Amino acid sequence: MKRISTLILLLAALLPAMAQVQYGTNQYAVRLNIGYLHNTTYGSYAGFDIGAFMPINEHFEMQADLRFTTANTHAIGVQLRPKFALPVGEMFIENRLLAGLYPRDGINDVTEALAVGYRMEYVSVQFGMSTRLIMQSPYNWHESQNIIVEPFNFTYRIEAFVRPHTSPWNISMCISNMTDYQIERLWQPIFMAGGLYKIDEHWQVNLSALCKPTGMFHLNAKYYAAEVRAGFAYNF
Amino acid sequence: MKKTIILTTLIALLCSCNPETWNLDITGMFSGSSAGINTRVEDSFRYNDEHGFPLINATAEEYSTYVCTDTHVDFTRKGWEQFIHDYRADLTCPLALHLGDLINAQRHWDYMRRPLDSIPANPLKRDTLLAITGNHDLYFNQWKEYLRLWKRSTYYAIVRTPLGKRDLYIFLDTGEGILGQKQTEWLKQTLNWADKESFRHIVVCTHTHLFKRDTSQGHTSNMPLEETYALIHLLKQHNVELFLCGHDHSREITNLGTMTSIIIDALEDTGSHPAYLIATMNDRPITYRFVDL
Repeated sequence: MKRISTLILLLAALLPAMAQVQYGTNQYAVRLNIGYLHNTTYGSYAGFDIGAFMPINEHFEMQADLRFTTANTHAIGVQLRPKFALPVGEMFIENRLLAGLYPRDGINDVTEALAVGYRMEYVSVQFGMSTRLIMQSPYNWHESQNIIVEPFNFTYRIEAFVRPHTSPWNISMCISNMTDYQIERLWQPIFMAGGLYKIDEHWQVNLSALCKPTGMFHLNAKYYAAEVRAGFAYNF
Repeated sequence: MKKTIILTTLIALLCSCNPETWNLDITGMFSGSSAGINTRVEDSFRYNDEHGFPLINATAEEYSTYVCTDTHVDFTRKGWEQFIHDYRADLTCPLALHLGDLINAQRHWDYMRRPLDSIPANPLKRDTLLAITGNHDLYFNQWKEYLRLWKRSTYYAIVRTPLGKRDLYIFLDTGEGILGQKQTEWLKQTLNWADKESFRHIVVCTHTHLFKRDTSQGHTSNMPLEETYALIHLLKQHNVELFLCGHDHSREITNLGTMTSIIIDALEDTGSHPAYLIATMNDRPITYRFVDL
């Protein structure tokens, strides 16, 4: 088991990766993915997600994501990203609002994250903070504390690409405590990987994977969750 | 710069190979050397099957439970000695709990255990000390040492009063920040059984915490979000009254309707405000107070 979990961790770190944010592109895009997901709490389950990428103008882009899973946990996310071109690369401010719906556990959460980032052709980094509200669902007016506030959490995302964004294909690797559907606590890194291939001007196929170990900072890391997603994107 | 990074990494990895000279198992960040949660749970179950679960008799309907955590014993143990002395001196205390991180790093187990023999037991009463494992009790393959001295980390204990009322204490192993499948299944079964048994109070103890509201002391790791939410749901569904944990080193109290979740301060000597908790158990809802050292 130890070997298997080590292998999964290594694979997740080495797999070809897909950039979740389509840096440098100025095309509107819609993407659809289906995924196999597993964690030690829910077991195996399936996920379906749809996302839209909207480069409003040269200084502002948006991203919206929606996920449904058969584990009865869902997520809605919106990202607003002002960006400023620099002599080399560009700087951006990412404002991310994420609602996690966990009907199976009678809990919803809302997380707001604000990060400052810098991206170039081959590397993108961002660091920021987030605030989370955890709410019981349905809301119970008879209880004293329905909303738990975790006021400050650090967020980070470091991603490397092997090709420039103009390339018809790309692969990347990423470590972060954020995905499009979840913002984890500081000490819970998630390893992400994937790849994309642009078939023609409009169509693109995506493949991505992530691995979420636990106990890394307890110095006794073990497997917790993994997922593989495949789908396509249509660029307008 | 590149050379410095490579050299630092190499030194850290080499130090990880020698637990005698280094306190942190850096390689454990990627592949832990101690048993994983499912293996540890099986070890605990094996002991439970062979020896049963602790049944403790209180001498009155109202009694006190002393709870400490994060003693991180290494070269000093003043707080830990004080805790042992205090719970043994209290005639109303039949049960004391340690919620993990008993030691700071390997090689300190016997030094940590010694006060339990050197501080005399109170001839006027009987008491029991129970513990669970924390992350500091695990790395560098310390689970074997923990088992040698503390026998298990997933179990329950029942305290019975003279009139036959019973309080249930459930102990969970979250040493690597996860409950895992087997332990979660056992917890569900235990709570279902508890529903039928009509316990007066149900208390659940772990090392890592559910929430992190106070960040004044910095961040500490805890269970993944999915597991945290599933656990909260389970505890509330079964009317758990008190959830006790440590790991964060700083006191934090969260009321979730009928359940109260408490992060207890660390009792380590080097901490800024070492303290332990005394819970008063009687026919009314559980009350508690902190004792600052």
